Amino acid sequence: MDISELKRQSDLSYDTAIAKRNALERAHSRQVFAYNGHLFRADPQTICLISTLKKTNDTFFVLDTNSNPVEITDPEDFLELLIARNQETLNAYHQMSKTFEKRGG
Amino acid sequence: MTKGVLLFCFDTADVQYHSILERCVRLIKKNLQLEITVVTDFNTYSRMSPMGFINYKFIEPERGNTKMGKEWNNVDRHMAYELSPYDITLVMDIDYFPFTDNLRQFLDTDHDFLISKQAHDLSRGTIMDQGRWSMIDMVWATVFIFRKGRKAKRIFDTLKYVKRYYPYFMDLYRIYDRRFRNDYAFAIALEQANGFTSYDTLPAQLPTLPPDCRILKITDQGIVWRNNNQIGQTENQDVHVLNKETDYA
Repeated sequence: MDISELKRQSDLSYDTAIAKRNALERAHSRQVFAYNGHLFRADPQTICLISTLKKTNDTFFVLDTNSNPVEITDPEDFLELLIARNQETLNAYHQMSKTFEKRGG
Repeated sequence: MTKGVLLFCFDTADVQYHSILERCVRLIKKNLQLEITVVTDFNTYSRMSPMGFINYKFIEPERGNTKMGKEWNNVDRHMAYELSPYDITLVMDIDYFPFTDNLRQFLDTDHDFLISKQAHDLSRGTIMDQGRWSMIDMVWATVFIFRKGRKAKRIFDTLKYVKRYYPYFMDLYRIYDRRFRNDYAFAIALEQANGFTSYDTLPAQLPTLPPDCRILKITDQGIVWRNNNQIGQTENQDVHVLNKETDYA
């Protein structure tokens, strides 16, 4: 491999890495949503917590993104929104990853 | 409960801010679909193209602040509380382009005041490092949300006090940047008004293109930029553009 080819590959990898980080950040931003006047992040931790608490309680308290306590009175509805938002963002990130693969990144 | 966006726009001898405003308004109407109020002066207003239904508030901007030796009219943000006609207000820099509706949901919360503490550098894919020397975390006054009431009023009253004695507060908090910066003024006011404890923030990093990124193309979907010999682009992601030497038409 000559040095110009190495530089080309290196630049491509760098561009791809930054684009991936930006796409992931876009997904993280999109995972934040308002529910019952509070902000939550549709991340695996929140989804698992709600899913676990829902098994034993009809209503319960969780913390929002600023650590304020919030009563969840309809866990089914909340969990559905969390999963929908989580999958929407990861689906978009997956599509983006596919385009990076095609470019050889 | 009324909700809307408040924007500040004043042309200077070097930057035609009204052309940035026109792009920003178009994206707010498309993606955020909120009522808009623009705080401006008659000079700037006379250069604006028709943008549809917009409320205007005319003030004479306080002058004297500079950025890299050029005029920088940014010190009127403390009047947002009085100037906003809305119960819940989203205040945005006009160089923050909302390519998504992400900000809209922040107006559906019970918080009295929300502001961002972190920015994401799109050109490097990292958190923007401000090279902090001061004794206080900087906030990004680029985007913030407030709900009119006692708490928000107290924050803005404190902000006015901080602005009045800004040189003293710069020394107190070891802020070496001698320009008036809303980012620091808000950070100080929030800390003082909240009894030197933490305060609620927006749980998102503001996607930002630093000043060394030259904008090559801007559409209603996204932005293409050049940084040294690298070309980058993003779509369907909000972007705060710090380089003003761009054709925004």
